[in-house]
Amino acid sequence: MNRIGLALFFVGASLTGTLNAHHSTQGIYQDELSDLTGTVKMWRLINPHPHLVLEVKDEQGVVQEWDVSYGGAAAVHLKRMGYATDTFAVGETINFKGHRARAAGVNGLLVEGGGNIPTRADGTPVVKGGSMF
Amino acid sequence: MQQRFSVRKLVYGIVAGAFAGLVLVRTSTAADAIPEIAGLWQMPQCPSTGATGGGGLNRRCMEIAENDAKLTERAKAYHDAIDEFAQPKYDCAPMPIPMMWSEPYSFAIEQLEDRVLIRYGKEEVVRTIWLEGHGFEEPKYNEFFYYGHSVGRYENGALVAVTDRFTFDSQGWNADSRIPSSTQKQMFERFTKEGDTLVLEVTATDPFFLKEPLTYRVTSKPEAEWDFDWDCDLEASRSILKIMEPQYPNDPPVNYIDYQARP
Repeated sequence: MNRIGLALFFVGASLTGTLNAHHSTQGIYQDELSDLTGTVKMWRLINPHPHLVLEVKDEQGVVQEWDVSYGGAAAVHLKRMGYATDTFAVGETINFKGHRARAAGVNGLLVEGGGNIPTRADGTPVVKGGSMF
Repeated sequence: MQQRFSVRKLVYGIVAGAFAGLVLVRTSTAADAIPEIAGLWQMPQCPSTGATGGGGLNRRCMEIAENDAKLTERAKAYHDAIDEFAQPKYDCAPMPIPMMWSEPYSFAIEQLEDRVLIRYGKEEVVRTIWLEGHGFEEPKYNEFFYYGHSVGRYENGALVAVTDRFTFDSQGWNADSRIPSSTQKQMFERFTKEGDTLVLEVTATDPFFLKEPLTYRVTSKPEAEWDFDWDCDLEASRSILKIMEPQYPNDPPVNYIDYQARP
């Protein structure tokens, strides 16, 4: 990788890195990104970390609950990106892209707050995005 | 021969006395100058090195990492044994110091006559630095504190403070990575101003868990407004535990105390 590429890599990494402000996400989630679509059961824009529960049908058609986390981001970080208490409506279908939990039999997804903004059923991003700080 | 009264000598004497007084005043002002550090400040930032850490923020210089070369063998052993599920942060206990300085949140400083208050935006912690010479009450021999006990003074245009009497803290050096701190933790802070920039120099030691001090110099710019509150929610704090593998699966499950359910 040449110097320009390396510099761009660091810039990109700095803009989308996960906030480890409360707990380290290392080892909890898989490295690769996955897609997850479901209906919102609960959304709390709250501290220390906003919390969303998604109902997702598994391969057998059984509805499973998934915990969607924004890592170490606090409510203020997401608010600065445009998130609000009414960003997600209960029953609404949302598409997420994130890292699935490693533990077997556990339904968890880490959405890196700085990037991978979720989208609504029509494909529009749920928030405009921007800096958390 | 009678000594004649000399107007010239009188004038010289007055001027010399005034000059001496001016020197004395200037000297004492310089030594005891109180830096104007009160106000609202943005999160501290490490000197720019071209690379960032901790989520893209420039705060790596303030961190004791999980594999930090400073860690003693004892620290590594504690780290491996500590159960993440038992960490105080899942009870909404605040981040420790000096780690709190590395958190990406604003903070406020208030300078009172006998103390300096530091209010951290994260977790709404208020620290008190008791100023020498104002008769603060010394802690009793059996008193230890989560945020230690801080004593400070103004010296050469800086606020310098020493903090010790920390309780043992399983997350005391890094709550993200299970690095504990002992009752021997000690923190030295020096607050100064450079123009409109707050400068904070920290040296922190803990002979049980660090082979050498953690030392850094960070700066903060003024913050325009305080745009958030905290109010930690226990359920939200503990939600991630549901997706983590327990470290001690053969131990009985823990029913966490619901502190927030109490009237």
